Amino acid sequence: MSGRVTRRRARLLAGVVAVVAVIVVLLMTGLGKDPSVIASPLVGRAAPNFTLPQLDGPPVTLAKLRGQIVVINFWASWCTECQVEQAALDQAWRRFRDSGVVVIGVDFEDSAGAARGYVRTDGVTYPVVADAGSKTALAYGLRGVPETFVVNSSGRIVNHVIGPVGGAALTSVINSMLTGAQ
Amino acid sequence: MGQLGTYLLLFGLAVSGYGLLAAAVGAKTGRPALVESARRCAFGLFAIVAAANATMLAALLTNDFAIRYVAGNSAQETPAFFKALSLWAADYGSLLLWNLILAGYIAAVALRFRRDRPPTFPYALGVLFAVQAFYLILINGPAHPFASLANPPADGRGPAPLLQNHPLMAVHPPFLYLGFSGFTVPFAFGIAALLAGQGSDQWVSVIRRWTLVVWCFLTLGLLLGALWSYSVLGWGGYWAWDPVENVALLPWLMATAFLHSVMLQERRGMARLWNIALVIGAFALTTFGTFLTRGNVLSSVHAFAHTPVGPAYLAFLALVLLAGFGLVAWRLPELRTPSSLTSAISREGAFVANNVLLLAATAFILLGTTFPLVAEAVSGQQITVGGPYFRSSVTPVFLLILLLAGTAPLLPWRATNRSRALHRLRVPATAAALVMIATAWAGVHQVGAVAGFGLAALVFVTSGQEILSGLAIGRHGMRGSAMRALARGRRRHAGLIVHMGLALVAAGIIASSSLGQQSQVTLKTGQSTVFAGQVLRYQGLHTDRQPQRIVLTTAVSVTSPSGGSAGTLDPRMNLYPASTAPIGSPSIHRGIVWDLYASVISLQDNGDSATFRFYRNPGVNWLWFGGLVMALGGAAAAWPGRRRRNSGDDKSAGQARTRPAVEAGAR
Amino acid sequence: MSPMNAAEALHRARAGLPGLLVLLALVAGLVSMISVAVSDHPPASQAQQVQQIAAGLHCPVCKDLSVADSPAPLAQQMRQEIAQKLRAGESAGQIRAGFVAAYGESVLMSPPRQGVAGAVYYLPLLVLAVGLITAFTLLRRWLRAPRPEPSGAGPPQLSATQRRAVARAVARLREEEPG
Repeated sequence: MSGRVTRRRARLLAGVVAVVAVIVVLLMTGLGKDPSVIASPLVGRAAPNFTLPQLDGPPVTLAKLRGQIVVINFWASWCTECQVEQAALDQAWRRFRDSGVVVIGVDFEDSAGAARGYVRTDGVTYPVVADAGSKTALAYGLRGVPETFVVNSSGRIVNHVIGPVGGAALTSVINSMLTGAQ
Repeated sequence: MGQLGTYLLLFGLAVSGYGLLAAAVGAKTGRPALVESARRCAFGLFAIVAAANATMLAALLTNDFAIRYVAGNSAQETPAFFKALSLWAADYGSLLLWNLILAGYIAAVALRFRRDRPPTFPYALGVLFAVQAFYLILINGPAHPFASLANPPADGRGPAPLLQNHPLMAVHPPFLYLGFSGFTVPFAFGIAALLAGQGSDQWVSVIRRWTLVVWCFLTLGLLLGALWSYSVLGWGGYWAWDPVENVALLPWLMATAFLHSVMLQERRGMARLWNIALVIGAFALTTFGTFLTRGNVLSSVHAFAHTPVGPAYLAFLALVLLAGFGLVAWRLPELRTPSSLTSAISREGAFVANNVLLLAATAFILLGTTFPLVAEAVSGQQITVGGPYFRSSVTPVFLLILLLAGTAPLLPWRATNRSRALHRLRVPATAAALVMIATAWAGVHQVGAVAGFGLAALVFVTSGQEILSGLAIGRHGMRGSAMRALARGRRRHAGLIVHMGLALVAAGIIASSSLGQQSQVTLKTGQSTVFAGQVLRYQGLHTDRQPQRIVLTTAVSVTSPSGGSAGTLDPRMNLYPASTAPIGSPSIHRGIVWDLYASVISLQDNGDSATFRFYRNPGVNWLWFGGLVMALGGAAAAWPGRRRRNSGDDKSAGQARTRPAVEAGAR
Repeated sequence: MSPMNAAEALHRARAGLPGLLVLLALVAGLVSMISVAVSDHPPASQAQQVQQIAAGLHCPVCKDLSVADSPAPLAQQMRQEIAQKLRAGESAGQIRAGFVAAYGESVLMSPPRQGVAGAVYYLPLLVLAVGLITAFTLLRRWLRAPRPEPSGAGPPQLSATQRRAVARAVARLREEEPG
C-alpha cells in the first residue's frame, strides 16, 4: 500500500473521529438535564400584579403586599404532587407570618367546590385565591402545577420552583431574604 | 417467574456472546465449522429470547406483582388484552420485544443462508450477534425488566392511560420495531463487505431485498403511528413533528434513498461506496432514534419515564458511527469505481437527484429536531423548533420529489432515447395541468396546494401509464394473461405501484393540510350548531363505570340539511385513577373524501354543557389507503421471483457487467 | 422530390408535437399557480387572526402542539386572551412579545431570527448547498470518465459461456424493463 494512500486513509479516519466526537459531546450535554424543565424569564423581574378573589374572603391584591415577602404557590385540587408540598407551605406560613412573609395559594383550573374540599381536608391555613380564566397563570408563565414563585419586599421575583417545593429549601430561601435583604 | 426470566436473559447473552466469537474467529481463520455452529446458535438464541418474552407475558397475565415491571405497568382491573400489551408499554418491557425481534431477524438470516452463502456471511453474522449482545447487556444490566420488589403490592399501577385506550397499541410498536431493528441486517452485511474487503456487488442483491422488507414494515409502523395520533389523541391531526416521530421518519427516508441508488449499482456498477454509507447511515439513525427516545434528552409525547440507560445508548451510537464510517473511510481508496455517464438527464441522473432530495429532507428534519439541544448547549437559550420550520423546509423538497417520481420512470438508462421519454410524458403532463387548472378554479388559495395536487396527479398518471404499457407489451410478446405480463416485469411494476401509493399519500397530505376546517363550540344539552353543512346537536352525557376507568360519553346527533339523519358522533372523556387529566377519545365519521371528526374537550355543569371541537378533515383516508398501497407494492417487489436454473440474484450483478461489452459492439 | 420533403416536414412536425404538448401543459400549470398567487385573498377575520397568532405559539402544557391545535384548557384560555388583546388593539407582534415575557422564547413555535437560535433558518440552506455541490461534482466526474470504446471492427468474439451469460442478462433485462 503506497504511503500516499495510507496518509489519505489516516486523514479520513481522523475526520470521522473528529465528527463523531463533536456529535457525542453535543448529545452528552442533553443527558444531564430534564428536558421538561424550562427556566422562567420572570426571575429577577417585577412580579406581575393580580387581584384575585379568595375562596372565602375579600380579594387579594399583590401590589398591596409590597414591603412583605410573598410566596405565591400555584396548585390545584386534582394535582397529586401538590399534596406533597402542602405541609412545607403550611409550616412556612406558621413560622414566618409574623416576620412579614405572606403565603398565597393560587388555585389553577379548578372548581370552587373541589378547592374548598381540598382546603378543608388538607388543613390549609394561608389565604387561597381562585384564578378563574387563568389570566394570572398565563401572566406568570405557568406550565403546570405545582409551581412556586418567591417575591421579595420590592416586588421582584427572586426564586422559581417547578414541582413540589421542599420545606428545607423554602425555609433557607426565606431566611436568607430576611437577613440579607435580597 | 422473575428468576426464570433473569436466567433466560443471562443465558441468551451467553449464547450471543458465543455466536459472536465463533463467527468472528471462523471468519478470520476461515473455519466453516465454527461459522456453522454460530449459525445454529441463532435459532437457540431466538428460542431463549422468545421464552423470556413468554415469561414476562405470563407474569403480566397472572398479576405477578412481585416483579417491579408488572407492578408498575399492569393492574388487576386492566383488561387481559391490554395486560398482554403492557409487555411493550414501558421502557424495559419494550426492550424485551426489541430483543425478540432482533433475534428473530438473526434466525431468519441463519435460515436463509443455510446453503449458498456469500463470503461476507460470517462477518455479517458476527456483527448481528454483536448488536444483539449490546441489547442483551442492556436488558441484563441497567434495563432489567425482571427486577423484583421486596414487598409486592396487592395491586399494580396499571399501564399509562393513553396506552390502554385503543387496540392500535397492539400493532403500532411491533411494526415499528420490526422496521427499526431490521436495519441491523443490511448494516451487518455492509460492515461485513467492508471487513471482508469486498465492496463488490455480491452483497447488494442480498441487502436490497432485506432492506425492502424492513422498509415495508417501517412504512406500516409509521402509518400506524399516524393513525394512532389521528384516531386516539383527539387533536384532529396525524403528525405533530414530535422529536420521536421525526427520528422515526429519518431511517425510512434514508432507506428509500438506498432502494433507489442500489439500482445504480445493480445496473451500472456505480455508487458502491455510497450505498454502503447509506445502509450504515440508516442503522446509525435508528440507533440515534433509540437514544433520543429512551435517553430523556428531548421533551416528547413518546418519552419513556426517566431511566439511567441514556449514556449506554450514546456510547453504542458512538461505536456504530466510528466502526461504520471509520471502515468506510478506511476502504475509500479501494472502493472507488470507474463509472461513466453519458448525460445527467437520464435514469442515472434521476437517481442522483432522488438521493440528493431524500437526504436533504433527512438533514432538514434532523437539524430541526436536534437544534434545541444544540442551541442550549452552545448558548444556554431554550427554544422550540416546531411545525412551521419543518413544514416550510420539507414541503419544497417533497414537491420536487413528486416531480421526480412523475418523470424519472420515463427516462431511459444511459440517455439513449430521450425523445421517447417526452412522448410518454404527454398524457401525464396534460393530466397534471388539468388538475392544477381545476384546483385553482375550484378556489384553492394556496399555491403549494395547487402545485402539489398537480404533481400528485403527474405521479399517479405516469405510474399508471407505465404499468399499462408494460402489460400491453408483455401481452404482445407472448400468449399470456395480464397477470403473467405483470409478473415478468415484477420489480418495475411493483415500484410503480409504490409510486401510485405515494401519489395518494401526497394528495391526502395536501388536502388535509390546506383544506381542513375546524370549529370550537360550547353546547348545552339540546343545543345545536351548524358545521361542514351538517346540523350537530348535543343530546346528553352518558356515564359508564368500568373496572379500570370511568367513561363519559357525549352523544352528538348529525343531521344533514335536508333533514335526514347521518348518525351520531360520540366523543368520550376517559377518567383513569392514575392520571389527573382526563384522556379524550375522538369520534370519527370516515368518508371517502372527508372525515367528520369530533372531540369533547371539557364538560361543565355535570354534563349539561360541553365544549366540543369539530373538524372537517379532507383526504385523510387517501393517506391511509395510499400508505397501505406503498407497503404492499414494496412487499410485491421483495417477493421472491421464479427460481431460475442458475439460482441467484448473486449472478445478476455479474451479468450487468457483461452488458457494456454487448452494447459497445452493437453501437 | 416535393412529396418526400412534405412527408419529411410533416414527420418532423409530428415528432416535435409531444415536446410542444408538454410545454403547453407546463405553461398551463404555471399560469394556474400564478393566478392563485396573485388573486385577492379576503382580509382575515378576527377569528382567523387569532388562529394565525395561536398557530405560532407553542402550547405550554402540551408536547409539540400549537396553541391553535391544542385541546388543553390553558390553550383555550390563551386563545381567549389573544382575542381580547386583538380587540384592545394590540398587534400580533405585541401579543407574541407579551407571551414571551411570561414564558420565555420557547413559547414561540419557531425561534427568533437573531442570535445563535436564528441559525436554524440558514443552516438548511448551507446543508443543501453542500449536498448540491457534492452531487454536481460526482456527476461531472462520471460525465468526464472515459467510456468503454469498442475495440477494432465488428462485435467482440464471445465464447459459448459468455454468450449464455449475455443471453441470461438480456432475458433478465427484458423482465425488469419491458418498456
